Amino acid sequence: MPLDAAAYSQILTAALGAGEYADAFHERRLTRSFRLQDGVIHEAGITLTSGVGIRVVSGERSGFAYSDDLSLDALLRTAKVAALIARDGSPRTQSVAMPPASSRATSFYGPAEGTKLSSESKTFVDFLSRADVAARGYDPRVRAVNGLFAEELQEVEIATSDGRFLSDRRPLVTLFVQVVAEGSARGNGVCGDGGRTNLDYFTERTPEDIAREAARIAAVNCEAREAPAGEFEVVVGAGSGGVLLHEAVGHGLEGDFNRQKTSLYSDRVGERVASDLVTIYDDGNLPLERGTLAIDDEGTPGQHKVLVERGILRGYMQDRLNGGLMGVGSTGSGRRQSFRSLPQPRMCNTYMPNGESTYDDIVKSVKKGVFAASFAGGQVEISKGDFVFMVAEGYLIEDGALTAPIRGATLIGNGPDAMTKVTMVGNDTRLASRYYTCVKGGQAVPVGVGMPTVKISHMTVGGSALG
Amino acid sequence: MAEDGLEFAERIVGDAIAAGASQAEATYTVTERFSAEARGDALTKLERSVGRSLALRVFRDGRKASLTSSDLSPDALRRFVREAVEAAAFVAADLHAGLPEPVAVPPLAHDLRTYADDVRERSAEAKIADALALETGIRRADARIANSRGSHVADGAAEIAIANSNGFRGTFRATTASLDTSPIAVSGDEKRVAQFGNAAHGYARLVPVDAIAREAAERAAGMCGARKPKTTKCAVIFERDVAALVLGDIFAALNAANVAIGNSFFAAKIGARVGSSLARFVDDGRLVDGMGSSPFDSEGMPTQRTEVIREGVLQTFLYDTYYARRLGAKSTGNAAGGGSIGPSNFFLVPGQASLEDLIASTERGVLVLDTIGFATESVTGTYSRGARGFAIENGERAYPIDEFTIAGNILEMLGGLDAVANDMIFDSSIVSPSFRVAEMAIAGT
Repeated sequence: MPLDAAAYSQILTAALGAGEYADAFHERRLTRSFRLQDGVIHEAGITLTSGVGIRVVSGERSGFAYSDDLSLDALLRTAKVAALIARDGSPRTQSVAMPPASSRATSFYGPAEGTKLSSESKTFVDFLSRADVAARGYDPRVRAVNGLFAEELQEVEIATSDGRFLSDRRPLVTLFVQVVAEGSARGNGVCGDGGRTNLDYFTERTPEDIAREAARIAAVNCEAREAPAGEFEVVVGAGSGGVLLHEAVGHGLEGDFNRQKTSLYSDRVGERVASDLVTIYDDGNLPLERGTLAIDDEGTPGQHKVLVERGILRGYMQDRLNGGLMGVGSTGSGRRQSFRSLPQPRMCNTYMPNGESTYDDIVKSVKKGVFAASFAGGQVEISKGDFVFMVAEGYLIEDGALTAPIRGATLIGNGPDAMTKVTMVGNDTRLASRYYTCVKGGQAVPVGVGMPTVKISHMTVGGSALG
Repeated sequence: MAEDGLEFAERIVGDAIAAGASQAEATYTVTERFSAEARGDALTKLERSVGRSLALRVFRDGRKASLTSSDLSPDALRRFVREAVEAAAFVAADLHAGLPEPVAVPPLAHDLRTYADDVRERSAEAKIADALALETGIRRADARIANSRGSHVADGAAEIAIANSNGFRGTFRATTASLDTSPIAVSGDEKRVAQFGNAAHGYARLVPVDAIAREAAERAAGMCGARKPKTTKCAVIFERDVAALVLGDIFAALNAANVAIGNSFFAAKIGARVGSSLARFVDDGRLVDGMGSSPFDSEGMPTQRTEVIREGVLQTFLYDTYYARRLGAKSTGNAAGGGSIGPSNFFLVPGQASLEDLIASTERGVLVLDTIGFATESVTGTYSRGARGFAIENGERAYPIDEFTIAGNILEMLGGLDAVANDMIFDSSIVSPSFRVAEMAIAGT
């Protein structure tokens, strides 16, 4: 990280021009990974992402340019390109002052904070080999095991025209396993875990645990039947069920959509948007979680935000631009995929706290329905509010008990409509296994999701079996 | 610039060999990007940058490793080229891994027209004016368009240089330009958004701004008053852009890497019937104006036209050098960088009828204009998506419908492919005409 306070001061002075605000986001991210295929280590990869993104803000306008050339000349040229957005105004002559050194953000990460990447290729390879043996040993129907181990360290420096100069070091480790099993049909199972920590994590949550979970799901799915089509009572499983909150509510509460009034949740703070059993938080401060950030990509500390409280909409997630224009300020939700992108308001770790029902009570209350145990992901269209989430492991519920496993179906609903139909909330909330990534406007960022077991009285299940 | 890039790539190949690699391949890419966003009558975003990156693959006696870096400083390159070669030691030796045998790239019979001068020559002011004109155009097209998520103009110009230690040297350049808009129709409490756009190698080849704005506005306003359909089985017409998304799933299952690791519903089906006689799928790397056209692929193998599914019978998978060796086939020129396999121009061969003809010949069905969701089960072909569009009754668009799913299995969908339209445009590397599947499950109320 060769840039010093004097360099940032010059760059931001050049960028600011006639704008109201400018910032520089300097990133150096190193990722090392190994892939497992066919029982052997298939390939190794190193990815180095390094550069500076410079932004100039003027009202609701943003000018942006990035450079992977870190010479002062190149960065000054980049700053002047970013400044073009505000060229109609009259330039200031004032220069931007910086503190002499950046201040390190208070960390919520695991013990890796402040350390270097381990570079322990032998350990990575060992994790993958152990995962392979465990998955194959779990069930004779296992046919293929694919795995990925990745260790990443993202170092960022953020310098702003209002004189803030901050830094953060963000570790992230991930072990991901995919298993194919062959029974009466073929079945797929995936599981991943890790988080903002170091390799020690895998002493507790072992590669064997993760691999066996993927193999277990594959073994269930290779005997699964077609999912039904139509409206059913749906029970959403604890943990990855949080994908429901992320899609049905979370995206619609992002500040950009609400400042522009393009979300169906626009202008609805204080109104009922869910049943009174529903409370939803987004939290940037949870230890280990993928969406945790000591500071966001604009230098604002991560926060615990109440999005929905007993069914009432409490607030949006904001970055600096949108929160500023709406007069509420940032909630520490400004995130970007890399130095090549402008920040956007994004979720961190979105979850629902405990309710009062037990898992057993919830399942027993369903006469004919679907239990969606875990999710492969989801998507939402935030203006009308229709969302889908894709079941990775699911079962029929008949007369209060889980029966046949069903093949991957998409469930569809409308945000406030589905959340108003939440009729039971379990006392078993937990964060999902840590491998979820969210994509918005082409930018991918790691996130966390969580939920207790929840019952939705009506939801459309998109299988192909009718009647 | 291209000469400098090639020299740089050659030097990195030399460095990798000196660090202990038995073979190496380096790709140097310089990309200029421009984008602008307008909303209402204001320019809201302006972005312009030049990015450089290096992608290196090294082989050490059949053990492979890769390096991707945007830090091209001598210190970083020295360190990470060495680390990539060292990391390869932890990989299993694989007799199929390695560079392609040297082959001559056949000369092109024609200019692929992947580079258009107007991308660099057109002024920023003119590009911004296009984005603003989209915003004006959507509001003029329909009084219900009261808001938007923004209109965008974006372009890029890339120069790519590839060198490998078997003596391959190649340079290639391509430009892209695109326009898109996301109008929101407001009717009572309802908000309906549509996203519509167009992409080509140059500005002069794009669909005119007015036409894009009108089409986008019509798509948003047309969904006002949509209702949820009843659960049933019926014919499904996939309109051009959502048809292309289905082809994305089909491509993934034809990708030899997925076949090799057990992730394809086409595995072990070469020579077998996998669809109706209308199922004719082609990948063509040398199509004039094609968004995925290039003379050679990412490892320097010549691109080609490959008939993948001929009248319903699977002919071949799509290969790079490694998976071709592993599965006993020949590369089809589909190496797509970083050891992956990708489409060049992958499409379903169009038919004679128009989309309106397809609708007119459908007694009862749905016309799907948009889908959401993405998790097709690659091992079985189980397909399920959220959708919106129109109910078709007696050969006519009857009323808009949304909040339903369409579901089936891709192999059954290919078997039920009973009409293919003539409306394909090459605005992406995976494209399709509209097509009809005789019967799928619709889940609604």
